[in-house]
Amino acid sequence: MICEHCKQRKATVTVTQIINGHKSEKHYCEVCAAQFHPFNLDFHKEEQIPIHQLLSNWFGMPIWKNETQERAVQPSIQTNACPACGFTFRKFLNEGKLGCPQCYETFGEKLPQVLAKIQAGTKHTGKRPGQKVDNNRIIKKQIEHAREQLQLAIQDERFEDAAKFRDEIKALERKLEMGGVDTP
Amino acid sequence: MNLEYFLKAEAPSWMGVDGEENDIVISTRIRLARNLDGFRFPLIFTDEEAKTVDQMVTQAFSQLNNGNHHFSHFTIQEMPVLQRQVLVEKHLISPMLANREKFASVIISKDEAISVMVNEEDHLRIQCLSPGLQLIETYEMANKLDCQLEKLLPIAFNNQFGYLTSCPTNVGTGLRASVMMHLPGLSMMKQMKVLTQMLARFGMVVRGIYGEGSENLGNMYQISNQVTLGKAEDEIIDDLQTVVMQIIEQERNARQTLLKQSQVALEDRIHRAFGTLKHARIMTSEEAATCLSNVRLGIDLGIIKNVSKHVLNECTILIQPGFVQQYAGTTLEPGERDVFRAKLIREKLNDGNSKLKEKGEEKHDV
Repeated sequence: MICEHCKQRKATVTVTQIINGHKSEKHYCEVCAAQFHPFNLDFHKEEQIPIHQLLSNWFGMPIWKNETQERAVQPSIQTNACPACGFTFRKFLNEGKLGCPQCYETFGEKLPQVLAKIQAGTKHTGKRPGQKVDNNRIIKKQIEHAREQLQLAIQDERFEDAAKFRDEIKALERKLEMGGVDTP
Repeated sequence: MNLEYFLKAEAPSWMGVDGEENDIVISTRIRLARNLDGFRFPLIFTDEEAKTVDQMVTQAFSQLNNGNHHFSHFTIQEMPVLQRQVLVEKHLISPMLANREKFASVIISKDEAISVMVNEEDHLRIQCLSPGLQLIETYEMANKLDCQLEKLLPIAFNNQFGYLTSCPTNVGTGLRASVMMHLPGLSMMKQMKVLTQMLARFGMVVRGIYGEGSENLGNMYQISNQVTLGKAEDEIIDDLQTVVMQIIEQERNARQTLLKQSQVALEDRIHRAFGTLKHARIMTSEEAATCLSNVRLGIDLGIIKNVSKHVLNECTILIQPGFVQQYAGTTLEPGERDVFRAKLIREKLNDGNSKLKEKGEEKHDV
């Protein structure tokens, strides 16, 4: 198939667009696709791209932007340097790493869109300093597992094992009552 | 403890043979990434900051009253390259820390179950290792130390993003839980590629244990969580536990299928590997890892009965280039290493056998 745009090179990229439920497919060569595709991803090498490269691919400057646009964007990025370490958001996109803890506040508005791509969410839901981790879910699972083992042991008439699992369940239940804290 | 204690040619405690599901799961590792507020991350910090961080952490550890764990502090810069490599091969430090010149250090507990890297990619990397599958227990070990350190150090934390780290792939819980698994059955049945792809969908990663690019060396795989933000610690651990239990079941099925379909071929493979380990005079690390994997499978299936798992675990660690050179007492060319490696394995296997016979535990003919 020949590229629909330049009608010269072989079409190797299929772009599927769905607008208001209407699906359309376009076939482009790599050169034309690179110009049209808003994220400028290299389709073939996607898997091997290191994380920092991916970040700049997603949020960095697309290469086809012309000079005037570039100039318009540049100053706003520079004024956003982190006051604690001098890191800019652009530098973060290039390096894939931040400069200091303060950076998370400095770039607090822009970071979630990056984090959304690489994490399960953009908000921390786990442990906080000075707070006990809620182990209940894990303990409940352990109890469930031990109960299954207990049933199997009873079925097979392995009564010594059964006694062991019974004690284990008791200990876990006690732990659950204590709020997940391991107390003797 | 002096450094020599941690360089001895023995399997560390976390490679012990107790632990649950230890026929398939070799060990469990928990890592927490933490940073100190008010200091730039190691990527761009000044020497002065690095020094202060190291001093603060060392100071905090001296204040810990940790009954069970005696900690020793070592500065990376003061270690010869070969010794650093041995610590890397023991998984006590990362290759990245080993290559750092300035103000990088490591704090190791006497039983080697805990190692804390200072000024690696983050200011603090708390790492705990246990034998077998013990995700919850190992996490509790790490969490306990984390809670103690939190009281002594200004840990960088943000309400929205959680524990702050240099790389956004670690932010949030800063938790990486990983399980080292021996999967010869799934490898022989050519299931690993499918498994790796499937796990990626669950936010899990599969790696080889001998570092990057060693994906199938010795059929050892490290399975860990990728996601650190948006999931709580117990969810991360629970998800990994569920996935690991499923892999264990699949591996057991694969082993039984192999045994049913091609028992003689499997036995041949295992005994050949055993023969090679006991008699070869030149052994590359690849060949050694492959043979050790086959012998391990042989022990698990009851085909080989007179080798202890403990000796095998030791060999798994000792075949690595750093240990081989330490055993030889000098740096070696790769060709020379292969000769020493073969000698080391022969000694270990024969030594292990004679010990067993003395104890009278096993009396099978070789």
